[in-house]
Amino acid sequence: MIRRLLLAPVERRTWREVRYVLVGLCFALPVFPLAVVGVVGAVYSLMTIGLPFLVVALLLLRRTVVWFRPPARWFLDLDWPSPPPRPTSGGALRFVESVLRDGTAWRALAYAVVKLPLMFAATYLGVGAALLGVLAVTYPAWWFLVPLDRTWGGTWLFVLEGVGILLVFPWVLRLLVGLDRILIRALLAPTPDRLRIAALEASQAALRADAAAILRRVERNLHDGTQARLVTLGVTLSRIEARADDTVRPLVEDAQESVVDALTELRDIVRGLHPPALDDGLPVAIETLAGRGAVPVDVHVDLAGRPPDVIASALYFTVAELLTNVSKHAGATRARVDLRAENGSLRLVVTDDGRGGARLATSVDGTEPGTGLAGLRRRAAALDGEFSIDSPVGGPTTVTMTLPQEV
Amino acid sequence: MRVVIAEDNVLLRDGVRLLLADHDIAVVAAVDNADELLAAVATHRPDAAIVDVRMPPTHTDEGLRAAIRIRSEYPETAVLVFSQWVETEYARQLLAEHPTGVGYLLKDRIVRTRDFLDALRRVTEGGTALDPEVVRQLMAVRPRDEGLARLSAREREILDLLAEGRSNIAIAERLHLAARSVEKHVTAIFTKLDLPQARTDHRRVLAVLRYLHARSE
Repeated sequence: MIRRLLLAPVERRTWREVRYVLVGLCFALPVFPLAVVGVVGAVYSLMTIGLPFLVVALLLLRRTVVWFRPPARWFLDLDWPSPPPRPTSGGALRFVESVLRDGTAWRALAYAVVKLPLMFAATYLGVGAALLGVLAVTYPAWWFLVPLDRTWGGTWLFVLEGVGILLVFPWVLRLLVGLDRILIRALLAPTPDRLRIAALEASQAALRADAAAILRRVERNLHDGTQARLVTLGVTLSRIEARADDTVRPLVEDAQESVVDALTELRDIVRGLHPPALDDGLPVAIETLAGRGAVPVDVHVDLAGRPPDVIASALYFTVAELLTNVSKHAGATRARVDLRAENGSLRLVVTDDGRGGARLATSVDGTEPGTGLAGLRRRAAALDGEFSIDSPVGGPTTVTMTLPQEV
Repeated sequence: MRVVIAEDNVLLRDGVRLLLADHDIAVVAAVDNADELLAAVATHRPDAAIVDVRMPPTHTDEGLRAAIRIRSEYPETAVLVFSQWVETEYARQLLAEHPTGVGYLLKDRIVRTRDFLDALRRVTEGGTALDPEVVRQLMAVRPRDEGLARLSAREREILDLLAEGRSNIAIAERLHLAARSVEKHVTAIFTKLDLPQARTDHRRVLAVLRYLHARSE
């Protein structure tokens, strides 16, 4: 213990901290004016003129998280991750908002404000004291070189003081640098929550991109591989048909029908992966669906904006499924699709004048008609929406689905 | 008839070549990319080019762009474009500049040989061949065009077939109507769409274009 106290002034750590404080002061100097601009800008932003200054200061201050890293790495073996990127999404207003809500930048501002005074204090109390101590300890030697107005014996008093200072300064320095460490951990290093969120966001984005890439690859393989093979098979069958006698020809024709059906199914599968129709927006996509069925359909779509992809594709597949039901089971002569925005949600109503009796299936095997409706209800629930059916025997049938406008 | 085939799938390319040979259609060149297609057309000046939309290197719309170039640079060569899926925008682009001697079909249609050869014959004669699926998607959209909105259900049905590129006789067969009454309906369509009293064939194409424009606006 005593040994540690006595050896502190010559410890490697002490002198690294001295260097850290000196270099840290140099790094803190250019940042401080920025901090001042930020603080003044924040005060004056109440009157808007300060706002541009505040925004610029915050943008630059976010970078100081990285700027302050080298001295800490070199002398303190202290390191911290770069801040996660600021979430950006279009529009000048959104940009300003995202800058002002950037916690990383505000914390960096706080650090920049205290960093310079702290480094000054550490330089004065730590480094300055070290110099003074060395000077005092060597005072008797100076007596011979510089004329001083005291006796040589008197100078030894200073030696005592100097030793005292030299014994204490490492601890003052350690205290102030320790304070800086705490501030760095609190203000510069990302909080664990923030890191966790960033990691999750990154992995989610990677998953989404992955899923999209896989879908594209599957779609491409189906088109360039399976579809081409089926068409080739069909072509070969055509050539066989031309050469076949009357006993074989019906068989070839059957086989060819199968090929055509397989191709149609393949196209429907690919369309199910990502309906290309949705690229032109929901209204066009629904009109396209309506035109595809056997029953004439009136379509009324009244939407303010473009709903998010998840919602749009849920609505699209729901309309597709319901219209298929209408053609297959309802025995209807007319149907109507009505989609409109209503008090912050989207309300889809599909009606037909068919025989009614549609219900949410309870069967487990999934073969009974109506199982699809249960699936639609699940889909609506997954998106925090509602799904209901009114279908008395004898008709008419009304299916209503309500989904939130935003996810 | 002399044709050039551009299709990057070897099996399918050979299959189509043999199929055409069976029907006495001379395949003067069979290539697997757009550049070679343009070179082959320049060399052989065929009656028609059968083109896959998606070919190397990017596998997007190379074939379509080559087809449009062929129609503008070699007017005597018709093009029949095959697509993996329905892309009404492709059909619109194809017909927008050179509305004659072009066809746009789903790849599936090759399987129905008679329809395929019929479409090929139609485009080489300066007509059009649009896939029924394309037409259906175009028709599904509520017409924003007043003239189109005035059409009756039967007239729309006939315009469907007209848009595919079918002749009056073919339409009559399809709908089990007398050729005379189809003619009457077609005339009614032209009147409702305010199409000029010029050559009949030209007006048929114009009627199709009205649909395409109504769709794209």
